[in-house]
Formats: sequence, C-alpha cells, structure tokens
Amino acid sequence: MPVRRLDPILVDRIAAGEVVERPASAVKELVENALDAGARRVEIVIEQGGRKLIRVVDDGAGMSAADLELAVERHATSKIPDGDLSNIATLGFRGEALPSIASVAHVEIHSRHAESSHGSMIRVEDGRKRPVAPAAHSAGTRIEVRDLFAATPARLKFLKTDRTEAQAVADIIKRLAMAHPQVRFALTGDNLSGLEFSACPQGPEGLLTRISQVLGAEFRDNALEVNAEREGVRLTGFAGLPTYHRANAQAQYFYVNGRPVRDKLLHGALRAAYMDYLPSDRHPALALFVQCDPRIVDVNVHPAKAEVRFRDPGLIRGLIIGALKQTLGEAMHRATTTGGSRTIDTLARRNFGSAPQFGAAPIRPAANWDWRSSPAAPAPFNAGLAEAAQAAFSHMPAADTRAHESAPAPDLLDRPLGAARAQVHDTYILAQTRDGIVLVDQHAAHERLVYERLKREREASGVARQLLLIPIVVDLDSSEVDRVMDNREALADLGLVVESFGPGAVAVSEVPALLKSGDIARLVRDVADTLAENGSATSLERRLDHVLATMACHHSVRAGRRLTGEEMNALLREMEATPGSGQCNHGRPTYVELKLSDVERLFGRK
Amino acid sequence: MKVTLERGALLKSLSHVHRVVERRNTIPILSNVLLQAKDGALLLRATDLDLEITESVAADVGQAGATTLPAHTLYDIVRKLPEGGQVSLETAGDSGQLLLRSGRSRFNLQSLPESDFPDLTAADLTHRFSLPAADLKKLIDKTQFAISTEETRYYLNGIFMHTTEVDGHMMLRAVATDGHRLARVELPAPAGAAGMPGVIVPRKAVAEVQKLIEDLSAEVVVEMSTTKARFTFGPVVLTSKLIDGTFPDYTRVIPVGNDKRLTVDCAPFAAAVDRVSTISSERGRAVKLALSEGKLTLSVTNPDSGSATEELEVDYDAAPIDIGFNARYLLDITSQLDSDTALFKLADPGSPTVIQDRDGAAALYVLMPMRV
Ligand SMILES: Nc1ncnc2c1ncn2[C@@H]1O[C@H](COP(=O)(O)OP(=O)(O)OP(=O)(O)O)[C@@H](O)[C@H]1O
Ligand SMILES: [Mg+2]
Repeated sequence: MPVRRLDPILVDRIAAGEVVERPASAVKELVENALDAGARRVEIVIEQGGRKLIRVVDDGAGMSAADLELAVERHATSKIPDGDLSNIATLGFRGEALPSIASVAHVEIHSRHAESSHGSMIRVEDGRKRPVAPAAHSAGTRIEVRDLFAATPARLKFLKTDRTEAQAVADIIKRLAMAHPQVRFALTGDNLSGLEFSACPQGPEGLLTRISQVLGAEFRDNALEVNAEREGVRLTGFAGLPTYHRANAQAQYFYVNGRPVRDKLLHGALRAAYMDYLPSDRHPALALFVQCDPRIVDVNVHPAKAEVRFRDPGLIRGLIIGALKQTLGEAMHRATTTGGSRTIDTLARRNFGSAPQFGAAPIRPAANWDWRSSPAAPAPFNAGLAEAAQAAFSHMPAADTRAHESAPAPDLLDRPLGAARAQVHDTYILAQTRDGIVLVDQHAAHERLVYERLKREREASGVARQLLLIPIVVDLDSSEVDRVMDNREALADLGLVVESFGPGAVAVSEVPALLKSGDIARLVRDVADTLAENGSATSLERRLDHVLATMACHHSVRAGRRLTGEEMNALLREMEATPGSGQCNHGRPTYVELKLSDVERLFGRK
Repeated sequence: MKVTLERGALLKSLSHVHRVVERRNTIPILSNVLLQAKDGALLLRATDLDLEITESVAADVGQAGATTLPAHTLYDIVRKLPEGGQVSLETAGDSGQLLLRSGRSRFNLQSLPESDFPDLTAADLTHRFSLPAADLKKLIDKTQFAISTEETRYYLNGIFMHTTEVDGHMMLRAVATDGHRLARVELPAPAGAAGMPGVIVPRKAVAEVQKLIEDLSAEVVVEMSTTKARFTFGPVVLTSKLIDGTFPDYTRVIPVGNDKRLTVDCAPFAAAVDRVSTISSERGRAVKLALSEGKLTLSVTNPDSGSATEELEVDYDAAPIDIGFNARYLLDITSQLDSDTALFKLADPGSPTVIQDRDGAAALYVLMPMRV
C-alpha cells in the first residue's frame, strides 16, 4: 500500500485520544475553560454517563463571534498572554481541548461576550466546522457535546458502564470544585445522585466549607488547618486527623497552583508524614494546595495535565512532610470529636429513643450506691463505670457544693487532660477538666508514650548496627541495584549497609541491630520497592518503627493494672508533653473527651 | 495385641517419644504413636516425618501385635494414672478400639492401623562411631546457642558436624553460626568417624538429642549418611533427616591475624556486662568496650535513661581500642567457656573478634562487633 497523507480529520481524531479518553476528561476540559473564563456558576448535565450528552453552562466572560470562530481551531488560545510556556497561570494553555472534543463528537457552542450586546453560536459536526451564526444567549457560555466517540467505535468499546463513567465525571467535578470554593457547581444527570456545591466565602473558612461539602460534614470536626511556607512555596489546606482514616486514598486531593494533580511524589510525602499515626492499610483524608511560582513547576508533562514536575522535588517533599508532621503533632491532643459525640449519640439513643427503661439505662447508679457518701477521691477507685461516672459528675462545680472536700488542685483542672479522678475497670482513667471529662485508655496511651520515647532514643543516638560475619547477598534487578546503591548513605543512617555485588545483587554487611534476626533479604527488597515508589526508604523506617511499637507494647502498662492517683496524673502530664500521644500506635484514639455540654445533652438538659 | 507393663516404664518412654509429635497435625496418623509388642518388649515410635524417636521397653507380651494411638492423649492418660501400677493394652478384635486398663481405670481408645504409620528408618547409614554422652553433650551445648532461627538461610538452621585433620590429629567438629557470631567446638574424632560426610543436624533434632542426653547417660552410637543421622542411646533411637544444603566455608570468617590479646576473668566480666546493660533499654543492647593498658572500661549510653560505666582490671597491653558488642552475645559466649578466664583476640572495631578458653582448646567463638 503506498504511503499517503492521513485525512486531517483522522489526524485530529488520533490526537484527540490523548486529551479526551473518556467523558470525564471532556468534562474536565470544559469546566476548566469555564473557570478560566472567570465563571461564578458552572452547571453540568450529563446523559448516559456523558456519552450521549455533556452540557456545561457558565456565567464567565464568554466569547465574541470572532473568538468562537477560532476557539474550535487547533492551537488557538486566548491564554499564555506572553507566549511563555514556563509561566502558566491558567488551567488551559494549549488551545487543544475544544478542537479535540469537536473531532470526536458533535459540539454546539452558544456564547455571549460580556461586553457585546448579542450572542453567537457555532456548530461542529463530524469534524466539520459550520459558520458562526448570531443567536440569543445570556452572558456566558453554553457548550453541548453530543454522541461522544460515535465516530470512533474502538474508543467507545473501552468505556465502562454509564454508571462508572458518570461516577468518574462526579469525581472530576469534586476535584475541580475543591480548588474553587467561591464558584457554585451543580452536576445532574442520569445514573447519578447529583452534586450541588453552593458558593463559599473566600479564605480558609470557605475552603473548609467546600471540602466538607465534598467529603462530608464530619470532615470539619476532624480537620486541621495546614499553612506553611518554605522558600516561596506555600502549602495550605486541611488535613484530616489520623483517627478519621479511610480504607482507600480516594479522599486525598492535591493541587498545584489550582490544578488537580495525582502525583507519586505528593502521595509518598503524605504517607511518610502520617506513617506514625496510621496503619499502612489506612489512608487519611485531606485537601492540600501547593502555591508556587509557575516557573518552578512544569505542568506540560502529561496530556491530561494530571502530573506535574517540580524543579526541586526535595523542597516540596520536605515542605509537605514537615508541615503535616508539625500540624499532626500539635493536634494530637485533640481527641477526635467523632469519638466523643459518637459515644454520646449511642448513649442518648439507647436512653431516650424509647420510653425510659430503668432496668436497661446504662448510666443509672448502682442500687446500693449512695451518692451522698461518695468521696470520689482521686485514689484508685475500684468501682463500675456507672458509679465512677456519677462520682465525677458529682464534683462538677455546679452539681455538688461539697466538691471542695476532695477537689483536685485547680491548676490540674486547667491542664488539657485535667485531673485524674478515678480508674475504672482497672483500664480507663477518668479525669476532670474545667469544662468536661476525659476518659483515657491507659494501655493505649502508655504504649504510645513508650513508643515515642524509643523513637526519640533512636533519633538521638542513631541506629545501632550489627556487623555481619557472613554478608547476605540479595538478588535484585539492575535498576533496583542502582536505586539501592544511589541511596547507600541514607540507608546506612538507618542502619543498613550495602555494597554492590555485581550487576544483579547487593551484599549486606551491616544491619540495624533491632532487625538483626529478621529476614534481611526481604527487607532489602521492600526497601528497593519503596525507593522506586517514593524515592525514600520509608519501608525501612516503618519496619524499625514497627519493632519499636512492638517493644512499646510489651513494656507498657496493661489494661487491668491498678494505678495510683499519682501514677494516673503522671501519665496524663506525660501525654500532654508528648506530641502524638492522642493516638495509639494503631491509629485509635488514646482518650476521648466529653464536654460538659455533651454530658448535659445526655441528661436531656439541653 | 495384648501387652502389660509398668506404668512408670511406659510413662518414661512416652515422655521421650511424644515430644516429637506436633500438637496440630493435618495428617491424622502423625498424631499417633506406634505401639508394637513382640519378644518381651513394647516398642514405641513417633515421628514428624523429619525426626523419629523409637524406644523399646520391657513388657509382658500376651499376644504379639501392633497398633497406633493418639500420642498426647495416651501420654496424658498414663501420666495421670496412679504411680506404681501396671498398665495393660489390648486390642479388641477388628473394631479399631483399644482397651487400656490400670487398676480400676478403663479407657477405650480409638486406634489407627499400624500399616499407615510412616517409616523413616534409614537404610545405608555409611558411617558409624560411638562416643561418650558427655562428649556429644559438649559438642551440642557449646554451639547450640549460635544456631540461626532465620529461615531464608535455612542451611544455618542447624549444627554442622564434620571431621577434619588438625596438626596431624583427626578431629570431630561441631559448628553453628547465625551470621553474627560463630561457635566451633572440636574433639578428637572417635574411631570410625573419619571421612564421615559433613552434615547439618537440624535444630529440632539437636534439641531432642540434648534432652535425651540429660535422661540417658551412656555411650551414644552415632550413624550417618548424607541424608540422615541416627543417635542411639541404649533403648532409645533418634533418627533425623539432615538439612539439605551447603554449610558456608566457615573457616574463612575465623580471623587468624588478630594481634590484640585481652584476657579477662569470666565471672566478673559477665557480671559487669550484665550490670551496665541494665540501662541499655532495647536498642540492640550494645555495650562499648574501651581498652587501654591493663584496663577495660565497659559503658552503655541510653539517651533517655542515662549512662553506665564500669572499669575492670584486665590483662591487656596492645594499642587502645574502642569496640561495641551486643551484650547478650557476650554473655552467651562467656557462659559457654570452661576456664575461668577468657581470651579475646581483637583486630579493630569493624572486624570479627575471636574468643576462646584460656588454653585455647576445644571451643572457639567468633563475634562480630556492633557500631554504636
Ligand atoms: N467557557 C468558555 N468561556 C470563555 N471562553 C472560552 C470558554 N471555553 C473556551 N473558551 C475560549 O476558547 C479557547 C480555546 O479553548 P481550549 O480549551 O480549546 O483551549 P485552552 O483552554 O486555551 O487550552 P487547553 O487546550 O489547554 O484547554 C480558550 O483559549 C478560550 O479563549
Ligand atoms: Mg481549555
């Protein structure tokens, strides 16, 4: 067959595949255009997962008849004003999206430029542009895309069910909506429960509102504000408390200069930051925004713009890990409020859901308990939860005038975790604060303290290494060998000393003393994997931490051990002084705080 | 089968063989002990397919025959029977039931046919020698602690036994290493041992042999082939498969040029190591040895709980050196030495150290330092 030039329409279709691979990617391009045009409202409608119809209506700047004529041409754009690809502040910059979509679907655009008195419309069918015609339209733009991929059955075949495609569209809208809290978004369509995010005010509060619209209202109560800056790069957003974890990484949103990205570097940094607080199979929820000079990040590396490349990845990684660790560390004293209010809710439901049943009421005083004679001393208190709870309540200033008899030192009441008042079931410490009560799981709390201490020890004195009499040779493929050898020094700092051993293996000559009896070959392979994944040896660190955690578990006070008042108070004070002590090593809270207002709700006083 | 014997004798034999039986077994017959009555004796045998122990005990055989019974159940029953009684075992026709009687107790036990019982018995054991139980005990006791428990280098999960010529004398050697330290013990080779294949006796067999020596002191007959080893202690016979692998050339890791010689009194040295390591928490339990002329300073630093030092007067006149070791390893080794002084031969803080009895005789240990 002779070589011949491809029909230009075919050329466009082939190229379009890179930009528009499924309805959701078309939606992304169209909504980004609306956002670039300064829209305050964006409404999206899809039918059959977007295959049959995608309609995007915005109230942005709009286009004149001349703009319309050009907008559907390839490489026509009103963006990149100074023709500098390294300085891109808009979401679009290639002039590629509309023509790509138009080459694989029927497209109809109605638009009116804000300053012109009448609107225009243009239609592109089967890749052929029809002349621009005048049309009535309010300010802004409406784009309809019909029968996507009808002319490219091969691509159509790759689409999933309408439901899945609709889900992908919703996902894209969520991602874009997070980055633009002031814009109202609405998505409707079949196979879809619909989204509506009302416009939020500017600033962190507005952002938090928008994130909570997307992730659910509970996020607000479990969110920590992140705000950090390093060498001109800003990191803002909200990170979920580790206790508010998820089974997958879906609820993680990353933006670089307003552009949603999925990036290994960012996810790796995130994992490293949460490493201490989460089991490896749980994932935090968060939305983080990196703001930097557009010149230090290349956004033109991926056809769908989903990946970016930083000029200095180490800087970004360090910024994220540092900021998150600090935020998390500071916040660990905040027990997850979901824990506390969930408790209240269960109790309240059981108590007040039906007519009061005294036999089943969980917080009734024991029959033989005389509230008048209970001293509720801060000494160990071998009584049921019911009595102890009552005892503590009886000392709340307004409830009992005799409180002064055994009232704890007032300065202890002002401490975040309050004054220990009782131990219940030899397992939980009940403490009183100025405006509530705190219940501490003594084993979980102490385990965490021991773990943190062991880790401090490790950081202070380095990792002790056992030298090997017989080196362990580990087979790896050559790229793994390179990666491991490139990180020799970092690994040595963690106690693992490797030497190269031909192109397909490394020889281990020293190992961390803590891991000396483990399977070293597997450790090295895991390390090679994490190096490939996120450029650092988190698996080794995690393994070391795991050993520390196990040791911590064996060295901490168990549930069931009687503690004296002094011991309990000492534990509370050490928790306050130890960052990260609000969580046990498995990501569960070590204590729960009930505010007085919660307690009052429980008694139906409020 | 019908057989009667003393409860005490039966219990003792069962206590030897039942240990081999794994508590949880997917193959039912492996939970059982084989009982074989003939020629005025009852033979008991248990196996986990890698290891087999057989013991024969004098009994009054009314009718020769064989069967198998659940090992742990039988052991527990016999253990709980009153002391000093007689136990009779009798199979009841083809029902598969066995009647166990002792005094007023009667147990009907479900048996499994003896024909299903696996036979590990090795033919062609090529080498045979005998040695005093005390010698075998020494070979095992002094090396066993260094056996590796890590499974990827499975060939280190046992004691390597072989013969070699040293200064014109044929020696029998036992060697074990976990990659951090190495233990080597040797004795003049008993007649018949020379030329035996180098074999790796697995950890479980080592532990069983060790327990049997405690109970039965006598001569031990050792038989070997390249795949199996057998230890005969009078009426008890232990047969084990060997680890199918190549033990590393350990002679290469035993340094010969270490010229810094330190002599310490074992007991005070061990006590001091133990004392200073009290504060080392868990971080690898490293203890630092700082040596200068006539003086050894042991120290441990733990950033969280403080530090500890202790000085010892020692016999040392080489250049000063600082070297770290795992405290546990030091204690393991010093507790194995026979003499009351230990000789350390050191090179530098990154190279293996040799530790020996004063006379440098039977046992030699190599210990890799730690970096702290
Ligand atoms: N909703 C809209 N409102 C106003 N102008 C629009 C809208 N959509 C598209 N345009 C105009 O059409 C041009 C072409 O859009 P297109 O999406 O094809 O390219 P782009 O956004 O410039 O670059 P990219 O290919 O990276 O998206 C834009 O530059 C813009 O001027
Ligand atoms: Mg665009």
